[in-house]
Amino acid sequence: MFSIIIALVLFRILQPQEDPYYNQRLQMVQHQIENRGIKDSSTLKAMRNVKRHLFVPKGSIKYAYDDRPLPIGYGQTISQPYCVAYMTEILKPGTDHKVLEIGTGSGYQAAVLAEIVDSMFTIEIIEELGKSAKKRLKNLEYNNVQVKIEDGYYGWEAHAPFDAIVVTAASEYIPPTLIKQLKDGGRMVIPIGSPFMVQTLMLVEKKGDKITTTSLIPVRFVSFTRSK
Amino acid sequence: MQKRIQLSIGLLSISIIAFQLILMQILSIVQWYHFAYMVISVALLGFGTAGTFLSIFKKKLLSAIDVILPILMITSGLAMTLVIRISQTEFIRFDSYLTFADLSQIWKLLLTYLLYIFPFFLSALAIGITFVKYPHSIGKLYFYNLSGSAFGGIVAIGLIWRFLPHEIPAIISIIPLVAGLIIISKKIIYLFFVAVITVIIIVVNIFQQNQLVLSEFKSLTKTLNLPEAEIKLSKNSPYGFMQFVTSPALRYAPGLSLNFTGPITASDAVFSNGDWYAPIIHGNLKNKTFILDYTTISLPYYTGEKERVLILESKTGYRVFHALTKGAKNVVAVEPNSLIISLLKNELAGKTDSLFFNPKVSIKNIDSRTFLMTDTLEYDLITLPIIGSFGGSSGLYALQEEYNLTVDAFRQIWNKLSSNGLFSVTCWMDQPYRNPLKILSTIVETLNQEGIENPVSYIAAVRSWGTITFIVKKSPLLINELNRIRQFCKTMFFDPALLPDIVKQERTNFNKLQNEEFFQYIDEILKNSRAKFYTDYAFKIEPATDNRPYFSQFLKFRSLPKLSEQFGNYTAPYFEIGYIVLILTFFQIIIASFLLIIVPLFKTGWRSSNKLWTFTYFSGIGMGYMFVEIVFIQRFILYFGNSIYSVAAVISSMLICSGAGSYFSSFLKAKRGITFFIFGTIVALILIYSVILFPVLKLTISFPFIMKLLIAILIISPLAFLMGIPFPAGINLLVKKSEDEIPWAWGINGCFSVVSTVSATIIGIEFGFTSVILLASLAYCLPLFANLRIKK
Repeated sequence: MFSIIIALVLFRILQPQEDPYYNQRLQMVQHQIENRGIKDSSTLKAMRNVKRHLFVPKGSIKYAYDDRPLPIGYGQTISQPYCVAYMTEILKPGTDHKVLEIGTGSGYQAAVLAEIVDSMFTIEIIEELGKSAKKRLKNLEYNNVQVKIEDGYYGWEAHAPFDAIVVTAASEYIPPTLIKQLKDGGRMVIPIGSPFMVQTLMLVEKKGDKITTTSLIPVRFVSFTRSK
Repeated sequence: MQKRIQLSIGLLSISIIAFQLILMQILSIVQWYHFAYMVISVALLGFGTAGTFLSIFKKKLLSAIDVILPILMITSGLAMTLVIRISQTEFIRFDSYLTFADLSQIWKLLLTYLLYIFPFFLSALAIGITFVKYPHSIGKLYFYNLSGSAFGGIVAIGLIWRFLPHEIPAIISIIPLVAGLIIISKKIIYLFFVAVITVIIIVVNIFQQNQLVLSEFKSLTKTLNLPEAEIKLSKNSPYGFMQFVTSPALRYAPGLSLNFTGPITASDAVFSNGDWYAPIIHGNLKNKTFILDYTTISLPYYTGEKERVLILESKTGYRVFHALTKGAKNVVAVEPNSLIISLLKNELAGKTDSLFFNPKVSIKNIDSRTFLMTDTLEYDLITLPIIGSFGGSSGLYALQEEYNLTVDAFRQIWNKLSSNGLFSVTCWMDQPYRNPLKILSTIVETLNQEGIENPVSYIAAVRSWGTITFIVKKSPLLINELNRIRQFCKTMFFDPALLPDIVKQERTNFNKLQNEEFFQYIDEILKNSRAKFYTDYAFKIEPATDNRPYFSQFLKFRSLPKLSEQFGNYTAPYFEIGYIVLILTFFQIIIASFLLIIVPLFKTGWRSSNKLWTFTYFSGIGMGYMFVEIVFIQRFILYFGNSIYSVAAVISSMLICSGAGSYFSSFLKAKRGITFFIFGTIVALILIYSVILFPVLKLTISFPFIMKLLIAILIISPLAFLMGIPFPAGINLLVKKSEDEIPWAWGINGCFSVVSTVSATIIGIEFGFTSVILLASLAYCLPLFANLRIKK
């Protein structure tokens, strides 16, 4: 009898834990991301793999897969899933790429990119957020991610240049140092908008001495004049 | 005893108004001012609640008035000192910014409402009891009530200048405590113990203050998260609670050119009520390059030399600094906020290279519009501060009157330009497009009204990745100026958005948009058929006027479903949160008022010949009074050029004159002819004012302040005096007809005063303030018609 109990306990322990949010995540990717036109297979795969519910505060776990940004404290948010996917796709990340992120926040965007690229560097200016993101990413075994707590203005000179840069905490200016640390032909993406309404993305492209920007709108955005 | 009660009512009224004003300041600091508006409006229903409570428990309350009245006054003082502290605790503290994102905040918001109702309810109940107990002295009591309220505004302004926001509630709470103490009967000794305990709590609160906890989404909170961020200086004033913050990670370079390769030096910043106010840029005027040279703000300086520059709303002087580095020989800086001028001349002078002591700079501590109307000089360049904020302001300023951004203001600016002068205005590119389109529509309307048939020859606009700057020249732009603008764009990686000879391809050379819509919209505004475009566009982008001075109010209700569909239900409210909150406030108040008016009827009965009269009469005078007050405040803000003092002047003179009217009413006989004469004169005066008020103020706006104050009092006093009569006259009538209805009547008056305050703002935004004043006359027709029905 005793051996049966032990066997049951062992069976329970050794049994791989089911991910209770797996289906929600699949639905999120299908309804919120694929249906809105994200096609890049590596982006979709990464979005299916990264457990978003582990990147949101405990009180918000039930909303983790909702189609919206969520507060993570310190006036910061974890972006709407679609925005994260759109930004990832826009960067055209390759498996051999080195990517820099300014504004780690919860670490979710870094985790998504880390699923695709070779090495991921992320900088967070708020110490508390940076520390918890670093711990979270380590626990989830994202070993190709390096987190630094510092002012993102200076970029990460030691690992520059980067194939792509994502600035998740946009400011009123784009630091010249980041432009310098972007490879020729590299892409930088910046979301613009106050918390809870991040909708507009800006793509910065560097081609020789010319730097161009493109405003992108990651929603079905038709003319704002009334339909006649 | 009655004399002491009258005095205590006066003291209590001082504290209510002072507390209300400081509560609004505190809520504007910890949240945003439209939420302050919302909470205060609901809290003011404490008056309505008191009326309802009094209707139901009238007998019990009156039988123990000797005990209850001082207790109510003392405890209202206690509530005033404690509610702020309690509302800041973790359990109750809500974050208004999360209201639409985190539904649990709704419960906290409700608790906050209940908490803030308390001091208003207790004070209002004390006042209401005296009205019911001494109806024959209503004229005098109402006089003390109104005069006290008038004085309360002045007391609040004095306290705000002297103390920090979180220190003031405890100080104000001393006033109701004194009011309670002077009416305690010597026979009821134990009440003194209640007073002593209250004194101890107030004293502890005065000496043990907690700093205010701001929303995590306020720009000050975010800045304080930066490394080594520190508040170096805090000063309070009616212009706002100004805080000077330093951090090596703070930098100011709005929409900086991507061609800029140098370092962006750290700048300090000033915050007002927890919101970003302006940067303090460390600089040396000997350096001829300045970070703003690499932004679109620099556009006007590239068209040619600007010797005489007028900087409107100069704030911390960074645009003054910029003008000097660009070779301006004479810079006039206009700034209404005297505290910021004082800071820059004293504590912060060293940080800005003593900018405001520079012989080339002349500081004018006056409102921009008043300055434009009184100044006689002409300028080569006039600039306005950057509009909106990076990434959009979420409609946070939708309820704010912005008199510098109306067609009337732009016309005044235009007429101050020298023959080759120009004015410039910059804004953030927002999404969906609102600010740039509204600026352009205002410019085009201005030029049309000035008789310019082909505005496009006079306007240029340059766009970076984040900002767009418009310049408007007094004479058509010349070829060499257009060439310089194009060269400026090429050097800075900017694109021309609008030039008289613009070519489609050059609009997106460096900064592409996902589609061409923005340019199509610009072109639509320049066409004569623009009115149709304004109607079709999802947001309000037709120009603001002095009659509807709400530049940042873009919301069209019919667009909400479309916004929700495109951006999601959680996101849509954040586009125009300010106005949406106002509408929510309105509905909350309507529901609460309805309940408060209906509930007493279950106690007093539904049927009585007077019920309809009481309702019509007291709702009419409640609405009419507040409509007139709001219109006066709105009109005099522009007239005095200083919103704080004009609000104080209008409210104080209105309340004092109405108090005098109320006192005078004690000597009036309740004859039908007299009543008709009073209401008829009120309605006639309001109608006359609707026609002549604006022209008279415009004609005399350049007069010295004292003269303007006298003119304001002359305009306000006759109407305010007459408007002070109907309330005590109505109560006197009720004494004769049905005394039981007095508390109900008082509650109705309170409820409709709040309803009309909120609805006046909505009507002003939607239809202009001329409509509000016409509605005021209609509201005063209600009691006139009610009196026609009343039985002799």
